[in-house]
Amino acid sequence: MTLASLRLALLLFVGSIGLFVLHSGVVAGQDKKTDARGAVDDTEDAKKSHWSFRPLIRTEPPEAVNGVKARNAIDRFILARLEKDKLHASPEADRRILLRRLKFDLLGLPSTPQEIEAFLSDARPDAYEKLVESLLASPHYGERWARHWLDVVRFAESDGFETNLHRPNAWPYRDYVIGAFNSDKPYDRFILEQLAGDKLGADEATGFLVGGPYDRVKSPEIGLTLQQRTDELHDMVSTTSSVFLGLTIGCARCHDHKFDPVSQVDYYAISAMFAGVQHGERPVNDAHAADRRTKAAKLKTELAALDRAIAKAEPLAEPGGPAGRRAPVSTTENTERFTPVRAKFVRFTILATNNLEPCLDELEIFTAEAEPRNVALASLGTKASSSGDYPGAVIHKLEHINDGRYGNGRSWISNEMGKGWVQLELPQPQEIDRIIWGRDREGKFADRLALKYRIEVALESGMWRVVATSEDRALPGTKLPDSPLSRLLNRRAELARDLREVTQPAVAYIGKFTPPEPTHRLHRGDPMAKREKVKPASLASFGRRFELPEAAADQERRLALGKWIADPKNPLTARVIVNRLWQHHLGAGIVDTPSDFGLNGSQPTHPELLDWLAMELIDNGWRLKHIHRLIVTSATYRQAATGNAKAEAVDAGNRLWWRYPARRLEAEPLRDAILFVSGKLDLRMGGPGFDLFEPNANYVKVYTPKKAFGPQEWRRMIYQSKPRMQLDDTFGAFDCPDGGQITPKRNRSTTPLQALNLLNSPFMLQQAEFFAERLKKEAGSEPKDQARLGFLLAFGREPTLQERAAAVALIREHGAVIFCRALFNASEFLYVS
Amino acid sequence: MSRELSTFGSRLLDRRDFLNYSATGLGSLALATLLSEDKLLAGGAAPIRPTLRPEAPLAARPPHFAAKANRVLMIFCSGAVSHVDTFDYKPELVRRDGQAMPEAPITFQGEQGNLAQPRWRFRPRGRCGKMVSELLPHLAELADEMCFIHSMTARSNTHGPAENQMSTGFTLDGFPSAGAWVSYALGSECSDLPAFVAMPDPRGVPQVGPNNWGSGFLPAVFQGTAFSAQRPIPHLARPGAIGNDAERAGRDFLRLLNEQHLARHPGDTELSARIASYELAGRLQTAASAVADLSSEPAALLDRYGANDANRIKSGFARNCILARRLVERGVRFVQLFNGSYAMGEGVGNWDGHRTIVADYNRHGPILDQPCAALLRDLKDRGLLNETLVVWVTEFGRMPTFQRGAQGRDHNPHGFTVWLAGAGVKKGFSYGATDEFGHRAADDRCTVYDLHATILYLLGLQHERLSFYHNGIERRLTDVHGRVIEDILS
Repeated sequence: MTLASLRLALLLFVGSIGLFVLHSGVVAGQDKKTDARGAVDDTEDAKKSHWSFRPLIRTEPPEAVNGVKARNAIDRFILARLEKDKLHASPEADRRILLRRLKFDLLGLPSTPQEIEAFLSDARPDAYEKLVESLLASPHYGERWARHWLDVVRFAESDGFETNLHRPNAWPYRDYVIGAFNSDKPYDRFILEQLAGDKLGADEATGFLVGGPYDRVKSPEIGLTLQQRTDELHDMVSTTSSVFLGLTIGCARCHDHKFDPVSQVDYYAISAMFAGVQHGERPVNDAHAADRRTKAAKLKTELAALDRAIAKAEPLAEPGGPAGRRAPVSTTENTERFTPVRAKFVRFTILATNNLEPCLDELEIFTAEAEPRNVALASLGTKASSSGDYPGAVIHKLEHINDGRYGNGRSWISNEMGKGWVQLELPQPQEIDRIIWGRDREGKFADRLALKYRIEVALESGMWRVVATSEDRALPGTKLPDSPLSRLLNRRAELARDLREVTQPAVAYIGKFTPPEPTHRLHRGDPMAKREKVKPASLASFGRRFELPEAAADQERRLALGKWIADPKNPLTARVIVNRLWQHHLGAGIVDTPSDFGLNGSQPTHPELLDWLAMELIDNGWRLKHIHRLIVTSATYRQAATGNAKAEAVDAGNRLWWRYPARRLEAEPLRDAILFVSGKLDLRMGGPGFDLFEPNANYVKVYTPKKAFGPQEWRRMIYQSKPRMQLDDTFGAFDCPDGGQITPKRNRSTTPLQALNLLNSPFMLQQAEFFAERLKKEAGSEPKDQARLGFLLAFGREPTLQERAAAVALIREHGAVIFCRALFNASEFLYVS
Repeated sequence: MSRELSTFGSRLLDRRDFLNYSATGLGSLALATLLSEDKLLAGGAAPIRPTLRPEAPLAARPPHFAAKANRVLMIFCSGAVSHVDTFDYKPELVRRDGQAMPEAPITFQGEQGNLAQPRWRFRPRGRCGKMVSELLPHLAELADEMCFIHSMTARSNTHGPAENQMSTGFTLDGFPSAGAWVSYALGSECSDLPAFVAMPDPRGVPQVGPNNWGSGFLPAVFQGTAFSAQRPIPHLARPGAIGNDAERAGRDFLRLLNEQHLARHPGDTELSARIASYELAGRLQTAASAVADLSSEPAALLDRYGANDANRIKSGFARNCILARRLVERGVRFVQLFNGSYAMGEGVGNWDGHRTIVADYNRHGPILDQPCAALLRDLKDRGLLNETLVVWVTEFGRMPTFQRGAQGRDHNPHGFTVWLAGAGVKKGFSYGATDEFGHRAADDRCTVYDLHATILYLLGLQHERLSFYHNGIERRLTDVHGRVIEDILS
């Protein structure tokens, strides 16, 4: 055993018995700052003996005798603490309230009158427990709790900053999280997969790493480039540490952490874990790959036969020929046929567009042979040049003209309004007879289309010969008369689309992995001030310490980090997650700074309970549903929300849980509940999200809220394709997180803008109309029946006599829409008690 | 020092827990309760968190000390205005026009061409004789009112992060904006309008859009409300399908429901706050429509602003300027007025003059100049400048060179100009300087943190102490930086 490995073994041993290892001098090259630290040993001790860094301790739940009967261990901890302050727990809430509370809490949805009826009449002694089980088994549980997780990990589906472009393939991570909650994936496994899912058959999970913002604006200025990279890594370091460990490691970017035992070297050692992670898309290994390959082969054969038939039927281009000989220009794909010609150069010159600077997504040149090949591809050595390129755009570049990839996202745009040319130079002359070009073969964009153009070829530079122009095409918008050719072309378009679909690798925005770049400590966090190299290593002061060699591969690093975090001996991991669950069930965490368990975070109100829950989690295979079950079946959770002057005088904040904390629904369950009650909620799960903003093709995305909504937008809000920094214009005002920074705990504001949105937005008016239609359909035209059903659906109860009289008068006088709009705005609709 | 911090930290925790127990039970709003200037903690910079009344989170709150200004108008020119073509006169740049710049750096878009003198002539203006270019002739006339900072620097040389920094103090997305911080600290003197209004340019929102006026981790009530003369507050008006009587009857019914619900939950201030918010919404509907209605403004005044100009962007911006004055007049705490929008082609929608700066700026200059100057003059004539701080900013400056192969200037975060006017700042004064070409801040270098610290100071707020406790960190507008620029204070 070498000295180094001996030391490592010793460290592991020390770590495993839960003592803290002093970090000074352990990691090579660390600056000890003894001048500043020499005299403050006791502070260092204080840092290391902080409650959350100490090992978990299982305490026997105290025997509580006061007031409400304890249903499980949780209650014994809670009641004992209440007793200390001479407080009593509140009595159990009534069943109607419990059902509403549970369903919103676990599924984020309201209860139906039938569910209420069934639960109220269920006389079995374990009716409540049975209800809990059925709700935990519902797939909508995952949708509700994934949202909490996505808040904490700053997930959004756009890049942020000024371009803020959409990430169309980021949603698989969202579906992964929903699935993980639904299948009760062990939490330690959940951690590992999010850091190294590529190793563990869970590709989508690594969307976690790159769920944050990404600055797409690149520059030759090295300072900016380095700054952007260190910002990306900083996002990964601070998100990972705050999510899983409840540590603000990010604070040690520029200097040792002011409060916690995290040195600047620690920060860069964790940063090194991500040194091979880059933003971007990666193919996802999916089960259907082989199937799709077979389909693709079949489609290709079919297409080739069709192409031969078309080649016989389709007229050749005739420069200067009469208009209308050929089909009008299409936004997706256009074919130019000509008699075979030998060429080394092809030039496409645009003379007019329907608007703006012209855009081409791909220019293909086919050889005149039995099995035509596209020789335009850059991968074959063909070189592209142009009259000028659209400046500053990431998705529109000259290199996209012949990269073999279609769509607006991989296209070229000229730098001049209505004109421009692009030229391809083949590596050697070829016999060619066909050119295919398009604006956007994905069919999403119809602007920037070349309407007038000229295509020339040359064997030698400058000796141009025109082979096709737009002159002999029909005018734009002309419908082709039905003919054998038009049918062939339509069929071809269909097949081509199918082929694109099956050959497109399934990719997702889940990060790309590259050999790790070396990591240096940066003086004051300045990327231009590199100091000594830092090896990937764990934090020096927590859990089982490890250090990897400088040459460690990317995946090895992430896997090692994941294992270190998910180690049951890590004192923070289990505490942090059970506290998050507690917070969502009971309004506030036992530690009220859910992503900071460090010295500057809050103290736990019930430290023994927190540890007890954390150990329960670990002892039960890290299954989160076990903790949910314990919490929601406790008497603590089942308390009424009613006030109590004496208790309020002692603990107005209800931090000791002498009652259930009533609170307003968050934006997502609020929107879902409105749709649910109006009868329009579409409960289809998974897949690409819906958009609440108008489509927009500007190279920096412009977000214009939609004003009209259809069934597309009536899915649960977790399926909104969620842009960063752009909140929905109706529900965003309800403290919806914007994905800019992590949101471990949402604010709960009350503002006049919320009132205006719920009263006047087109979404709300439309849903009030649907709700009114539903009342009419299900309750008939009698106002008193409509009123009754309205109350049942919206509040889960019958109206009082006074309420019914007022509702009937309102419906009589002004119609049911006004009534329904008021129900949607009522505090009772928005609050769960 | 570390030991003190640690003791301080632990006392802070005790104190905070105490407050949690005694707070009024209102979630996050209540947790943001005052951590007052405790003598025990007074050794360092103990945080000051304003007391928020849940039913009136925007009620006016006293500053930390006597304020010089009680509201702010921030005019934000998106796209990065060239300082060397506007307010920062560099004779050496004129002299060496066309020569190579010694040690020319690689900048945002790449290599430099030669030094390029301003394309608009500078001449002395006002009694102070400040050299200002002819690009902005109306604003130039007001040189005696302005207090220039020529040595400003930014932390990023790309628009998104730099715009973030100027508006929020941080280059990253998701931090509270200066306007949100000020509303959080001081509330508002106008109960019928939002405390913080952001007015996007007629051409569209600025480059990082709502992050400029976001509330980040502060409660949403402090978020800027975006509206302008072109776009009213979203969902302000009741839907056309709902008549007056129906609206009133529906609201009465809603009030009945909410009051009965409250009666079943006695003492729940969050529910009372909700009822109050519907009343506030009603007042906001009236007040916001009234403030945006410019028809009561005299024709001569409209003309002075250029509100009837044939250039629709200019007249649109002019209307926003008038609206800004009306908001300031009514006591809105923070108005952020944008000139220039998101990028819609280089230099098209904003001041990003990379390639054809003469053509670009001849388009943008007149849009800004007359309306903005009329606004400043109008504020002065009405005496509003005595209590309003006007701050004119942009995300960074531009290079003294033209870009290689182009007739425009690249980004330059190393030295640029911002100016202030009004309450608490010197008039006709210039502070700091860039080097001989206008490339880097050379004298009295300033940061955006310093600018924010100074704005807060003028509002009677200590930038090191105004804080919000978020996830274990006492967050500040100025992060861990910033110093008040005392030399510019009057």
